Amino acid sequence: MVVGEVAIETDVIIIGGGPGGYAAAIRLGQLGKSVVLIEKDKLGGVCLNRGCIPSKALIHTADQFHRLNDFEKMGIQLPQEKTAVDLNVWQDWKKGIISQLNQGISHLCKENGVTVVKGQATFLSDDRIGVETDGDFETYKFEHAIIATGSRPFIPSFLNVDGRYILDSTTSLQLKEVPPSLSIIGGGYIGIEMGMAFAKLGTQVTIIEMANRILPQVADNLVKEVIRNAKKLGINLKTSTRVEKAIVEDGQVHLHVFSEKHGTEVIVSEKTLVTIGRIPNTQEIGLNQAGIAVDEKDYIVVDTECRTNVPHIFAIGDITPGPALAHRASKQGIVAAEVIGGLPSAIDSSFVPYVIFSDPQIAGVGFSREEAEQQGYSVKTGKFPFSANGRALATNETEGFAEVIVDAKSHILLGMHMVGADASNLIGEGVLALELSARVEDIALSMHPHPTLTEGWMEAAEAVLGHAIHIVNK
Amino acid sequence: MVEFKLPDVGEGMHEGEIIKWLIKEGESVTQDQPIVEVQTDKVNAELTAPATGVVKKILFTEGDIVEVGTTIFTIQEENDISVPETFVIEKEPPVMQPADVKVNSEDITSKPHLEAARVLATPYVRQMAREMKVDIQQVKGSGPAGRIIESDLQQFIENNQFKQVNDNNNDNKILQNAAPIETVQEKGLEERILLKGIRKKIAEHMVKSVSTIPHVTHVDELEMDRLKELKDQLKTYSDNKDIKLTFLPFFVKAIVIALKEFKTLNASIDEKTNEMVLKNYYHIGIATNTNDGLIVPVIKNADQKTIFQLADEIRQMAIQAREGKLSLEQITGSTFTISNVGPIGGLHATPIINYPEAAILALHKMEPRMVVRDLEGVIRLMMNMSLSFDHRLIDGVTAVRFTNRIKELLENPILLVVEMR
Repeated sequence: MVVGEVAIETDVIIIGGGPGGYAAAIRLGQLGKSVVLIEKDKLGGVCLNRGCIPSKALIHTADQFHRLNDFEKMGIQLPQEKTAVDLNVWQDWKKGIISQLNQGISHLCKENGVTVVKGQATFLSDDRIGVETDGDFETYKFEHAIIATGSRPFIPSFLNVDGRYILDSTTSLQLKEVPPSLSIIGGGYIGIEMGMAFAKLGTQVTIIEMANRILPQVADNLVKEVIRNAKKLGINLKTSTRVEKAIVEDGQVHLHVFSEKHGTEVIVSEKTLVTIGRIPNTQEIGLNQAGIAVDEKDYIVVDTECRTNVPHIFAIGDITPGPALAHRASKQGIVAAEVIGGLPSAIDSSFVPYVIFSDPQIAGVGFSREEAEQQGYSVKTGKFPFSANGRALATNETEGFAEVIVDAKSHILLGMHMVGADASNLIGEGVLALELSARVEDIALSMHPHPTLTEGWMEAAEAVLGHAIHIVNK
Repeated sequence: MVEFKLPDVGEGMHEGEIIKWLIKEGESVTQDQPIVEVQTDKVNAELTAPATGVVKKILFTEGDIVEVGTTIFTIQEENDISVPETFVIEKEPPVMQPADVKVNSEDITSKPHLEAARVLATPYVRQMAREMKVDIQQVKGSGPAGRIIESDLQQFIENNQFKQVNDNNNDNKILQNAAPIETVQEKGLEERILLKGIRKKIAEHMVKSVSTIPHVTHVDELEMDRLKELKDQLKTYSDNKDIKLTFLPFFVKAIVIALKEFKTLNASIDEKTNEMVLKNYYHIGIATNTNDGLIVPVIKNADQKTIFQLADEIRQMAIQAREGKLSLEQITGSTFTISNVGPIGGLHATPIINYPEAAILALHKMEPRMVVRDLEGVIRLMMNMSLSFDHRLIDGVTAVRFTNRIKELLENPILLVVEMR
């Protein structure tokens, strides 16, 4: 510490302006606290700048492009010339979306009295933090701090992400041309989302996954629908396969992979995308100086109020153990802010919905059948296929189904899961139902609008009770 | 790990006071070994270990008032392999080492879903619980499928008014008797004492009785001279047997004889099934004053006991009651109650029925009074008795006939001999 240094005093320091950090900042502003939000790059974090939002823009574009194939049967006549995608133009569109959202966050921060500081933050002690901005160094003294530094892609040491041949999720969204071929290491949700999007844009995609199937965290029956479609799109799925080496040669990536079934093989592609997981950004922020503990995987363990072991310092989002999802971070951010503001807030629910923008989409909340049984519930389930839903037929999106899992005794809903078009938008009903401790009858008895995909939930609920209308109940 | 929750050892008790711990944390115990003494509304109970193992944690100290269903101690069973605790709600910041020392949180990272035990309540009700400082895990839900609704929180608070969430030891689950028992306000102008223990139980019981049973009270008088004569004659015999003979056993005897003839007075109404329950057993409760308040020891099967046996039992029970040594069994199950307030004084009363019984008989002061016999004023040893009865079960005529019969038996105690079996 510099002698004679003057620290700027603030009620709360927030490190990281992602969906967790900025939500916390705004909420603290609402609660009348002075807040300094430190962001080393751009407000919105990975989610807005390099993750959720741009990837959804790419997936949507790919989807629209892919749908042109169905136009003929609907009677739409396209010009004879071959259709094409120009990713240069797409990049501009993407930037426009991001910039609009960026500005929105800046505006909200400003209106709520949040001071946004650009720079790299490091704890100096448990009540001081240093921020380095373009060579300048400023010290802040705080009453409370919220750490919201997020996560980054995990890259194994034998891979060198150069942004040209070997890409991570960030650089894959910066491509200006659709690559003719792409191998993806990791068949988790990011790998599958990106793989299906590029396949729709015309890329020859290979996905390499160590587990025996893609999306290993998601229930088997849901993933089946995605596997079928991936194969239809010509994606080569290599499961139970390990990548051992990556060599860039003659402008191509040669991946040496090994599986019990096929032994060693070499997969050659234009580019390789690495999506095998994310690691928390907890190393370079001086946690030791503040006395903040991490677990063996470098996550910061917090209690239900999002407090770390240092009670006036909070941690939220991807750096805390649990799924690395923006909505979890935002909720934690708001809880931490309210606790600091003296309100009795807490993370008191285990219902964290998940959404996968595969084709078809998968979304769910609560237990899968298997998890519920492991918890000791005796379980009833009901399923309704979208092939029996009028709206799904009319929009040419008949794949997938809705599934509800209930406690056989009380009929309280334990889990709601869906694979199908727009599952991401439909899961909101599931979250609400579970948070309100609804019973399956509550959904079955509620009037659902026709013709919509939401009827899928109603029919699945009725199926549990043995009286779905549009399928034969067994 | 076995959690021992305070059981309901009395009839519908809500709470108990920890009187004495018989073991310490860390001690080994065998199954059924006595662990703790608990005092409930009216009785002391010794609670035993549910399993063999080591007492891990004692959660309350002596003198604490604990609600039924609250964990009061935990036992690590012998064969219980310690599993890392899952990430459950705890207020305490996780105790961990600084960043260069790693802690194991495998459970946390691999099973994010399972972290908090699910409470069946909407998000807003959960928020309200925090605002009201109620540990929602402790609240019983009255909504569909056990859902906790707003009114359940209110009810929970009402049931725990003298308890408060103890913030100091960071454990929401422990409710302590932290509020002062007495709050003297305005320098002694009024004194406030919380209703608790026997007093609270009595209060609840009286409200229940009066609000359920339509009471009617009927008063009559007894001429006691002949009974006194008989009692005095028997004194030599009773003294030899070391029995202190009072009038009360004679009353018990007479009442039992009358009850056998007037079945609706030894009865109750089962409100759930809408049935009259006529009882063929005769357990007579005798309201007894103790330092802590009124208590009603019960003479079981009074019809099968002799006058001397009754006298002896009444005396033993009175002693036990005053020493607080009565078992739950000895104070429950009466079918008819006598309130013997005569020794203290008073002409007549409107006693409240010991719910769910059908009637109660209060015995009043015995005194020489001027009465008219054969159109002449004479002095006799007189006593009043007041019978309150459940007018749903018993008509006025029946009640009068019942007391007439008691009067007949006691004014002519020779009849008691006739009725003997």
